[in-house]
Amino acid sequence: MKKAITVALTGNPNVGKTTLFNTLTGSRQHVGNWPGVTVEKKEGTCEHAGRTIEVTDLPGTYSLTAYSADEVVARNFIIEDRPDVVVQVVDASNLERNLYLTMQLAELGRPVIIALNMVDVAEGRGDTIDERRLAELLAMPVIRTVGTSGKGLEDLLDAVVAIAAKGEKHTHTIGYGDNAEALISDLVGILDDDPDLAPRYPLRWLAVRLIEGDADIRRVVSGSSVGDAVFARLADIDFDEYEATLADKRYEAIGAILPQACTICVRKMTGSDMIDRVVTNKYLGIPIFLALMWGAFQLTFAVAEPFMEGIEHIFGWLGEGVAASVGTEWLASLLGDGVIGGVGGVLVFVPNIFILFLILSILEGSGYLARGAFIMDRLMYAIGLPGKSFIPMLMGFGCNVPAIMSTRTIEDERDRLITILVNPFISCGARLPVYILFAGVFFGRDAGNVIFGLYVLGILVAILSAKLFRSTVLPGESSPFIMEMPPYRIPTLKNALLNMWEKGSTYLKKAGGIILIGSLIVWFLASFPAGVEYGSEESFAGMIGKTVEPLVAPLGLDWKIAVALIFGFVAKEIVVSSLGVLYGAEEGSAALSDALLADPALSTAGALAVMVFVLLYMPCVATLAIIRKETGSWRWATFSVIYGLVVAWVLAFVTFHLAGFFLGGA
Amino acid sequence: MASCPLSLIAPGTKAIVTMVNAGEGLRRRLYDLGLVPEANVTVVTADRGSIIVSVAGCRYALSRGMAMKILVAPEMVAV
Repeated sequence: MKKAITVALTGNPNVGKTTLFNTLTGSRQHVGNWPGVTVEKKEGTCEHAGRTIEVTDLPGTYSLTAYSADEVVARNFIIEDRPDVVVQVVDASNLERNLYLTMQLAELGRPVIIALNMVDVAEGRGDTIDERRLAELLAMPVIRTVGTSGKGLEDLLDAVVAIAAKGEKHTHTIGYGDNAEALISDLVGILDDDPDLAPRYPLRWLAVRLIEGDADIRRVVSGSSVGDAVFARLADIDFDEYEATLADKRYEAIGAILPQACTICVRKMTGSDMIDRVVTNKYLGIPIFLALMWGAFQLTFAVAEPFMEGIEHIFGWLGEGVAASVGTEWLASLLGDGVIGGVGGVLVFVPNIFILFLILSILEGSGYLARGAFIMDRLMYAIGLPGKSFIPMLMGFGCNVPAIMSTRTIEDERDRLITILVNPFISCGARLPVYILFAGVFFGRDAGNVIFGLYVLGILVAILSAKLFRSTVLPGESSPFIMEMPPYRIPTLKNALLNMWEKGSTYLKKAGGIILIGSLIVWFLASFPAGVEYGSEESFAGMIGKTVEPLVAPLGLDWKIAVALIFGFVAKEIVVSSLGVLYGAEEGSAALSDALLADPALSTAGALAVMVFVLLYMPCVATLAIIRKETGSWRWATFSVIYGLVVAWVLAFVTFHLAGFFLGGA
Repeated sequence: MASCPLSLIAPGTKAIVTMVNAGEGLRRRLYDLGLVPEANVTVVTADRGSIIVSVAGCRYALSRGMAMKILVAPEMVAV
């Protein structure tokens, strides 16, 4: 068996790279993270001509200048891991911009193959592309592919195997003009004196990056034995000017290549431009956007409803089955109250989450979501955040975990941090059962207005917190943004489903694991010391509740609510199930409602305080874990817990006393 | 032909970039996207906080602040 061929798949965002990757590797994929950064790493394998081909899907980038974490990851992989072949997926309808990356890839020394994708779009527009001529001019194979149907993939894999067998370096690069070239050859001469550099880096590329003032590469070179000589040569150079010249030369080279290989390749006003005029219009943009979002949420809940009921039935049936068949009392309690009660309460929301993801995937695939972020930009800017922060805020209404994961598209670290930290205040679906219970019991016909008010309060707290963080712990201007507006496309169902599954299954795994463990801890606390009644005042849970009772007493709450709130840390919907246990209510929330209403310790004002507290207090365990993961340290996760608790306590206190004043009962 | 910031020209106007007046990282980013001196740009929409421009066959949304830093010479001045 021959050694596997390693392939790096690269390309601009929105060129069909992921589709091609999915078609190539099918289900044989592995998703992880690149070490040290929160950029997703996708790997997969396929077989061709008796060889195993290992494909790594690099993040989509426009260039390799190390502007963002994505670009650093992509270029480091090609330089350090030395894949046998680099395949660049190119959008044929957009050759000019796509070939810019090709110019940079060519300098990295690895063999490059161009997968010419979306030729149908280009040719439908009247372009004709001569890929053989293009291959000659670029000195690299150019293969036509259609990612969605798999057309051309055999040819692409043939080319991969053939190129890998040759094992040659790619040497054909563009010239940068006499001045720059003289400088480059001087630098290459100096760099060549260090025996360590040449085996690790393509020297010409190092020299080019040095002239362009690349800070990362300056660090690499300053640590080498020739650092001083290099910087002496660079001493009186105007980096800005060279940088502009080099970028210019790349576009010049592309401008020289294109007319020889492509008949038109120059765009006129297209359908996409027309659609953009309408959907980003000053007056129509926001109404269209809101209508689409409202539709998305309506559809989410309407479609998810029967699935949710189905899951509830399954867990109800499982619970009864366990109670009937497991003889050992503690084991039945562990399985019924702990595992099924805890995990089941959370799995009920899975249909919602999957459907919301499916709809968002379709909107994303169509190219509209980028416009949504654009439309909301001015509003977000007023808060001190870039337009891109809007999508995570929107997703937060479903679940904060994927919402926080989706902040990865925000380049500026501070913008991203603020977006992450305010996200838990967006009222997720898990908090809704708590509102429904308390608002239903204490406000009757006004319940809807109370719940709507809570959502608004969450948004207000998020906005004010963003402003507060911006002016204190994370100062700075909201970074000016550049966002590509991908051309509108008909999204494919297969891709939307894969995208949905990728995000949704992460939620299942992460949230499921943590919630199971959390539920078991809660069950343990409620069941021991041995012999006490489950969830009673004498159990550990009761003791904890009694201990923290003084803290929540000013909010008009007693130990039972305190325990429920502590349990709610695992997942906020557990607040409801915990209260069910603690009030000793039988199955069904009608009984719990009566018990709550009858409890002299709980007033209407207190009920309002509970809802405000549940809305704002610390993120749930799953959200906390994702904050820890995405920010890379416990520092911000801890901050988020403390900040949330303080805000929740203060606002619940104010709510309790204001409501007490107006409604009586405080 | 006088230069003016990209943010000030009317939608539908074609222009040629004369200068990119930004810090190192941002300028490099703009260059990579094709917003280099001599490049042809078209403003697609410009009726809200940010603008959409078309350059090198692609469309990008730029915040107004960023568009201020790109100086262009309009091909014809729209009224």
